[in-house]
Amino acid sequence: MFSFLTKKKTDKKDNEPEIKEPVINEEQKNELYKQIKELEENLLISSGEDRIKILNTLGDIFFQLQETDQAIQYYEKSIEENRTLGKAYTNLVKLYNIKRREAARAKDDERLQHYLNKMDMLLKMTKDEIRGL
Amino acid sequence: MQGIIPSIEAINGQAMNQLGLGSQIAFTFLAIFIVNIVIARFTKWKYIFLTGQAILWMSTMCTVFGYFAGFRGLTLIIVGGVIGGIFAVAMPAIAQPFVRKITGSNDIALGHFCTIGYLFEAWIAKLVGDPSKSVEDVKLPKSFEFLQDTYLSVMVVMVPLYLVTAFFAGPEFGAQFSGSVNYLVHAFLQAIQFVVGVYILLSGVRLILAEIVPAFRGIAMKLVPDAIPALDCPVLFAYSPNAVIVGFVTTTIGTVIAMFVLPSFGLAMILPGMLTNFFAGGTAGIFGNVAGGKRGAIIGGIAHGIFITLLPALLITILNSLGFVNATATDVDTVAAALLYAWIITPLMELF
Repeated sequence: MFSFLTKKKTDKKDNEPEIKEPVINEEQKNELYKQIKELEENLLISSGEDRIKILNTLGDIFFQLQETDQAIQYYEKSIEENRTLGKAYTNLVKLYNIKRREAARAKDDERLQHYLNKMDMLLKMTKDEIRGL
Repeated sequence: MQGIIPSIEAINGQAMNQLGLGSQIAFTFLAIFIVNIVIARFTKWKYIFLTGQAILWMSTMCTVFGYFAGFRGLTLIIVGGVIGGIFAVAMPAIAQPFVRKITGSNDIALGHFCTIGYLFEAWIAKLVGDPSKSVEDVKLPKSFEFLQDTYLSVMVVMVPLYLVTAFFAGPEFGAQFSGSVNYLVHAFLQAIQFVVGVYILLSGVRLILAEIVPAFRGIAMKLVPDAIPALDCPVLFAYSPNAVIVGFVTTTIGTVIAMFVLPSFGLAMILPGMLTNFFAGGTAGIFGNVAGGKRGAIIGGIAHGIFITLLPALLITILNSLGFVNATATDVDTVAAALLYAWIITPLMELF
């Protein structure tokens, strides 16, 4: 139905929601896990800006590893402790969207609404932050 | 000379109360959602517009101008739904090349009916600027504290506006309206009444949208699981906070220039709307910066301010003839939809 309006399967420019992270091999993965271990240890003794930097780096690494739940957890903690606009916000939107898509495919309405609401909250926080609230 | 307040809320309020178009607007709102889902489900454009408030403003404009074109009943709703639904997919789609550049991915889209203005700014910025010299390399204040309260920022514009106008009109003329109350006090109270009116209207709108939108987007996302969600403009703010500030300031300068220049071309005097300048101006600044860097964002921002004042000014005559009092729409895509009705659909309707 309506096949004349649909895009040819070979052309994916507009409809390519998947994040194109570079594929990482086993060796790189092990290296990243090693980094995570070190950073998590440092996190326990760090404070201030250093702590935020570590939280964001942990979020970045888990994002690279496509471990979305852990990445979300670290970015959310980073924003909770320091609301300055930056990568934590921009990556969180992408991560919530990945979770939203997973929930939609699984037809899990509750989880779908949960992540849509999280996106709303993040937009509100962005708005508040730039208005100095 | 006629002074006009750019307030889509005022248009919505008048359309619902004075013109009695409340139920048609609500049904058009629903029709836009449905058309958006149908287009996203069956075509290559997978954008689902998730900014409920913006869709309400679009349905308001489609209903009002459809009514003006002569549509009634079900036809009014279907035509409005189709036009609004096409806008809900087309606007994120045309902004997407820039959004991809800003976000570095194709995961999310921009769902804000000011897109034509953003593209206009990007076009100007591209002509005059250099994208390698980003505004993000400059140190700027990080927030606008005076915009902390939406209604306070509306009041900041409205109170001086009413007071200055009343002052120039003088006590004798003012007394015709103020009765036994001092004419300046009366003007102040009228300004506050406007702000309170906007507050009540927006509270009601939020209450209704909070009920409808979650249900809609749940259905939309299940029917189109690979949808690209078109989100409200703050989704881009974190990518380029300096550009938001530059965009706001330059758009405001542009709207002030247009306020004084447009009347000399026989158009109405449109007062700057601080909230539109902040949200649309800020987002336009991001587009200007990505297309033309610092210089592009500044010059493009001023041009954007003039552009978003000019388009609503073109609507005034029609809005006045429909009975709208001294108000015009703000979001330029909704204005474009209204002009589509006024300049193309209405003349076509008159032929048949």
